[in-house]
Amino acid sequence: MTVENLKALESLNEFRLTEAEEEKALAVFRFMEGEAAALQSVNTEGTEVMVHCMPMTNIFREDVREQAFTRDELLEGAPEHSGDSWIVPRLVK
Amino acid sequence: MNYFVTEIDRAGTVAVDDTILVKGCEAKAGSHILDGFVPLFSSDAVERLVKAGFTLRGKTHTGEFGLDIAGETSYHGVCKKADGTLSTAAAEAVAAGAVKQALCVDVNGAPRRGAALSGVDFLKPTYGTVSRYGIIPTACSGEQVGVCAANAEDVEEALSVIAGHDGKDGTSLPAEKYEYAADKDVAGMKIALVKELYDAADEGVRAAIDAFRAKLEKAGATVEVIPVTDVKAYATAWQIMLSAETCNNISRYDGVKFGYRAPVYKDIDELYVNSRTEGMGFTAKMNVLFGSDVLSKNRYMSCYDKSLRLRRLASEKMKEIFAGFDAVLCPAMSALSVPAYDLAETFERTERELLFTTIPNLTGIPAMVTGGVQLWAAAFGESTLLSIAATAERMAD
Repeated sequence: MTVENLKALESLNEFRLTEAEEEKALAVFRFMEGEAAALQSVNTEGTEVMVHCMPMTNIFREDVREQAFTRDELLEGAPEHSGDSWIVPRLVK
Repeated sequence: MNYFVTEIDRAGTVAVDDTILVKGCEAKAGSHILDGFVPLFSSDAVERLVKAGFTLRGKTHTGEFGLDIAGETSYHGVCKKADGTLSTAAAEAVAAGAVKQALCVDVNGAPRRGAALSGVDFLKPTYGTVSRYGIIPTACSGEQVGVCAANAEDVEEALSVIAGHDGKDGTSLPAEKYEYAADKDVAGMKIALVKELYDAADEGVRAAIDAFRAKLEKAGATVEVIPVTDVKAYATAWQIMLSAETCNNISRYDGVKFGYRAPVYKDIDELYVNSRTEGMGFTAKMNVLFGSDVLSKNRYMSCYDKSLRLRRLASEKMKEIFAGFDAVLCPAMSALSVPAYDLAETFERTERELLFTTIPNLTGIPAMVTGGVQLWAAAFGESTLLSIAATAERMAD
């Protein structure tokens, strides 16, 4: 992991680290790269991936609306709202 | 000591950690980014408890998204033991008798470590037996709601209520109800002790294991030391999967629809970046960064895909073990005391502790901490765990 790649990941994930945090993050990446490299010593050839730890099947239910919240209830939790909309900065310049 | 981030009813007997939704009660999962989030509904587990007549005392502090050792990364206050060392607020509340039971989400073993540090019980049930509807998600493929209590009977009482199929949770298993018992005869049971985990723990933990083993043998069980040679690889695999899932789950917090919004921004991009920069702690950010890296094109096959294959190997290993044993005995963590430390170290310190707690999260099997030690059983083997714990609790030290 390089500083440039780390900054790209920060940008991708929409947050910034301080310089001190970046230094620490690079150390963590070095540590985890060592851990991940050690995984390769375990032979998984012929082993299928396992996404769900328990056997899962799709759950079907009647196509009827349940538990709908009102627009007002949903807007109530927003940091800023007005009338029937969330308020965000102007998107079109 | 204040165990609760939110008090609900001082006469209540059950606590829930702050990643579990209670309608009308602010829910923050230990994170600044969720400040002001008041859910419109309760989790299925809480609904079941309330319907059965249990009363909620309050919401306990939890580490940010449950990603630390024992709650130390909470933005809203850390619970420490009387001697200044760490434990979870839920386990301390149970140990102090402030509540009879506490529900906690087990993402990376933190509630199990809390139980070991505070000398109480915690049971993470089989994946899919307790609904995850209404919990703030971190690592969906392995996290489960479990019960913390002072003894096995009290764990069983709450677990019997919250377990059962929920159509609102796509990972809920089909059985409508699960019957648990803490009175199975331990005599004749075969218990496996994992050599690699025993050897990796400190002297105090090994003494607790030795004492527990002696109780089991006195009760008529046999204990045999077995190797699980790839256990370190399984822990790394869960860290990779956990971070990848955290990265996806945390991406929804952007300061627009709910939660924290930074006070200063000049456009929508700055609103997102400033809100997330100010709203999340370093450990959460570190998990997001590592998670997005292991999901990237260059690392996907060697990290994420490899981990999914290791999950199958771990699952097959557990099936092999439980074909010959009733339960596994091992440490819950490396030491039974965690002094306060520099939180910049949380990611690596927690990753090292995953060695002891990963397999139940990775494979979905149930795990229980009692008397400072950890027990695992085959899927749906909760009664075996409860019975072993209850038997040991009845025996004098």
